[in-house]
Amino acid sequence: MSGFDFNISRRGLLKSGIALAGTAAIGGGLVPRPARAADTTLRVLLAGDPFYYAIEGLKDQFQQETGVKLQIEAISLEALQARLTSSFISNEPDADVISVDQMWLGQYLESKWIHPLNEFIKADSDTHIEDFIPEVLYSMNTWRGQVGTLPVAAYGQMVLYRKDFADKAGISVPEDGSWTWEQYLAAIQKMHGQDFDGHKMVGTVLAGQQPAPIVHMYSQLAASMGTRWFKDFPAGTPWDFQPTINSPENLAALKLFGDLYKNAPAESVGYNWFDAGMRFAKGDIGMFYWWTPYAYLCKKDGYMSGKDSVVADKLGMARLPKGPGEQVVSLGGHSLGITANTPNRDASWQFVKWATSAKTQKAMGLYNKYGYQFSDFARPSLYKDAELLKIYPHLTAQLGDLERGNGKVVRPPVPVYTTLEGIYGLNLNKVLTGQLTPENCLLETSTFFETILKGNFLIPYQQASYDDTLAATEALMKSLA
Amino acid sequence: MSAVTLAAPPRARRRLPDYTPWLLISPSILLLVALIAFPLLFALKNSFYFWNLQMGPAPMGFIGLDNYKMALSNGMFLGSLWTTLQMTLVGTVVEFCLGLAIALLLLRRLPGIKLTRVLLIMPTTIAPIVVGFLFRYMYDPNGGLIPWLLTSAGIPLPAAGLLGSPSTALWAVLFADIWQWTPFFAIVLYAALLAVPGEIVEAARVDGVSPWKQLLHVKLPLIRKTALIVVMLRFMQIFNTFDLVVVLTKGGPGTASRTLGYSLYQAGMVDFNIGLSSAMTWMMVIIVNAIIGLFVFFAFKDWD
Repeated sequence: MSGFDFNISRRGLLKSGIALAGTAAIGGGLVPRPARAADTTLRVLLAGDPFYYAIEGLKDQFQQETGVKLQIEAISLEALQARLTSSFISNEPDADVISVDQMWLGQYLESKWIHPLNEFIKADSDTHIEDFIPEVLYSMNTWRGQVGTLPVAAYGQMVLYRKDFADKAGISVPEDGSWTWEQYLAAIQKMHGQDFDGHKMVGTVLAGQQPAPIVHMYSQLAASMGTRWFKDFPAGTPWDFQPTINSPENLAALKLFGDLYKNAPAESVGYNWFDAGMRFAKGDIGMFYWWTPYAYLCKKDGYMSGKDSVVADKLGMARLPKGPGEQVVSLGGHSLGITANTPNRDASWQFVKWATSAKTQKAMGLYNKYGYQFSDFARPSLYKDAELLKIYPHLTAQLGDLERGNGKVVRPPVPVYTTLEGIYGLNLNKVLTGQLTPENCLLETSTFFETILKGNFLIPYQQASYDDTLAATEALMKSLA
Repeated sequence: MSAVTLAAPPRARRRLPDYTPWLLISPSILLLVALIAFPLLFALKNSFYFWNLQMGPAPMGFIGLDNYKMALSNGMFLGSLWTTLQMTLVGTVVEFCLGLAIALLLLRRLPGIKLTRVLLIMPTTIAPIVVGFLFRYMYDPNGGLIPWLLTSAGIPLPAAGLLGSPSTALWAVLFADIWQWTPFFAIVLYAALLAVPGEIVEAARVDGVSPWKQLLHVKLPLIRKTALIVVMLRFMQIFNTFDLVVVLTKGGPGTASRTLGYSLYQAGMVDFNIGLSSAMTWMMVIIVNAIIGLFVFFAFKDWD
């Protein structure tokens, strides 16, 4: 029998518990423990696009360089937006570093949900801010004179076509972009319905699903033909959000888009981004224009499958056709930002800097687990890299289009963009299904736009405006370099 | 000498205070208020405010009934309501009829019936999102099983496929729902039919009542209560259909398959218009409760 009497009263236990808890609380507060990199784990929440797979594959390098561990999660863009918004509204930190779509940038900065990066960049010369394509930073990362994010994957749009089929159909595609949208349509009409390689070929393919995919595709054509969404935004002061979408230029573009659909698979009315790309990869489509990642994605028969598609060695790439005015290319992609509620601000910045650096971006381009699946560089220096050019021969054409990029004109980041995109996408989709004429689509869209913009106090705009131009971004880059 | 065991005299029952029942059910009431009433009241409050997260993180002022007006003004809400009602009514009726037919088959001692009973419940156990993806492949115009079966049977299909045509998209979504939930009706109705006393059915058979009349006048009246409850549950579930629509059509083409659930998701989780989506939530709550209230009033009035 033990001589140790361990009878304890409930009251005694309670007292001891309180004393222990108090000691722990006071001690924890008073004794600072130096934060060591080895103790830090960064939570990174990304959109599940190709860049994620490359970063995930290279994350050990970051840990070796900094000692900071990474916990990376990738989800769909819609889920990401919902999850981030919920985390910010409830002030429950969900991640340290996040993917921020260019359309959310203004909202996130103005709501103070992410840290502006100006001071970080200024204090860190090895960010090499001057080695970013200004058009990319302007389109994706700046809002009212602040850099809110840095680009980790920059997308433009370009034309992809089957070289062998184009040759057989007697079509010469000007790879330098010296052609018009009417010539592009004529080439597609010539291809449509021809027999080739034992298949009945289809001229083109569209991403017709509402709301975002069809807007992403159509807005490129519309902007190229001279369409603008608003009277004065983002350049010009004061901002004037009066819709200018119901214009002759947009009507011409929409009629042309309808003609493209007549030469596309009928079911592409329900295709999203990836459906359209993978339909081309199946080999029965002549030509289509889409986001630049499809230059490498279409070489595979599925998303990160690692297996070559039937068009892998037959893929031709060209610059986008032009409209009557100056060419405007849609710019999109993904950028990294630092959440305002992160307890690991400095480590987060180290990660953002690392992931967007020329060295890491090149390593991402050379990452070969699923075949080479990343060429979405935002730094001009990488477009001249001989090693990368050997793997991604389309880089020269891609840079050409990126340098004509203006994401803020093609899809303007107005504060209620998602709502407007929902209406625009729905009505464009109705044009393809024959439920609306192009004329009624633009009239209805314009009316809805005006109602929503007025309802959200954007017409008339009574807050301070900012003359958001490419020149302003170039000046900002100079000041931060 | 036998030992006599005397029972202990009963203790005088202490009378409990009058508030005891309230005390006992108060945790449940508190939980109910926390989980149901609070979110609904919070949504009601938000529905009178301008609160769009795209414009700012906090509510930007009281706007009375403007959110309700906005929801009703552009035709989107009413259009979605009509689509939802079509889907709900047709879906509930079809699932009930098919479920009853399967339940009657299960009553027969057919070969393989035990295995069938086990397999039958499986579609119901699959997540609707997974069912959506499954049917996306099955509806694929390029080699999908369903278009192949229909064209083999000589049924013409729309050029854009079943999901791509405004005239078929909603019914294609509903077909997936019917595939998933008919077994639920079948199993519940089968259980109810098993409880029907055999001698009543036997008496009807001896009296020369046809099987069809046995079903209408004997079996269905006896399983009426179960049938009404399961119909009510499914009505509410189909009314809130969302996952299948998101995966299969995103409410399209156009607004052909846009249900109220999807419109609510678009307003709240895509456009982040908390005020508008709260107003839509409350209109949905009122509509569903009105329909269910009428249903309960007429269907259950002679239950006592």
